[in-house]
Amino acid sequence: MRYLLFSILIFPSLALAEATMHTDHSNHGAHHSHEGHPHTQLVDGAEIKLDAERFDKFVLNQSGSQIAVVSVTGMVCDFCARGIEKTFKKDIGVKKIDVDLANGKVLIAYAATAKIVNEDIEQKILSNGQTVTDIQILTAQ
Amino acid sequence: MVFSDEMRDSAYYHYSPSYKYSLGIELVDEKKAMKNHANFRYTYLLNRKNTQKSQRNLYFQSSLSAGGNDEYSYGFLGDWETRRYFIGFGAQEFKSNLRDYDKQFVQIGFAPYLGDYGDLHSWLMVKSKHDSRTDKWNTYPVVKFFKGDYLLELGVDENDEPDIHFMIRF
Repeated sequence: MRYLLFSILIFPSLALAEATMHTDHSNHGAHHSHEGHPHTQLVDGAEIKLDAERFDKFVLNQSGSQIAVVSVTGMVCDFCARGIEKTFKKDIGVKKIDVDLANGKVLIAYAATAKIVNEDIEQKILSNGQTVTDIQILTAQ
Repeated sequence: MVFSDEMRDSAYYHYSPSYKYSLGIELVDEKKAMKNHANFRYTYLLNRKNTQKSQRNLYFQSSLSAGGNDEYSYGFLGDWETRRYFIGFGAQEFKSNLRDYDKQFVQIGFAPYLGDYGDLHSWLMVKSKHDSRTDKWNTYPVVKFFKGDYLLELGVDENDEPDIHFMIRF
């Protein structure tokens, strides 16, 4: 019985793997100039490694918002990272949040008038079990 | 979390005041002993190492049964995982007036594809568990799926008994 069950479960999983790899390949093709590791350079010369396409999509319709780009270690699991989203969504100053597992980044859109406290961000991430290594605050155009 | 195997069915609810520890209550149906009882469980994170690509954890876990016979348990759980690979282990001692026994398990797995946040994530795993009451290692395949706030881990052991974990994150 367990072999039958395993066969039933493994085939859809592998089919999904193939579909996902195909999607990834398409993305690489569309953004070849980024070489799969896009970077954004800040005015002070600092560089943050993030997915430019993902960032552009995130800041769409967020004009004027403050965007916290948080670098996080230990964020290896979608299920485990769910707590980060839940915690930040309780903050009334937070308009939107995105978790980028591949690059270890959390993007948080704050209202233009919101006061962003780095220690508060660090504490919220730590309370979920991950560690903040860097925080950059940008303003969406 | 709901759990089921050849020895027991259980439902477990826990609350984590901090990432360091959690307190929970487990409602257990002991199939072979044909009795129900509740366990109060305490889990403490002894060590965690976060890196860019991995997380490693070591937990101490203990429980105290409300079912009489002075039943309690203690042990250690550990895991190391990346987005692609997983290794986990556990060892627990169970004590009571009736009988003492111990359990161990090891589990390894890999993700055949790396999904984005919010996608359906799938893992193919192998689990091997030992119970001193039967004194046998039981090794079998396990699949794990999670999407959003739901996680399902499903296996069928060498005795054709299901090994099921279902978790909801509130």
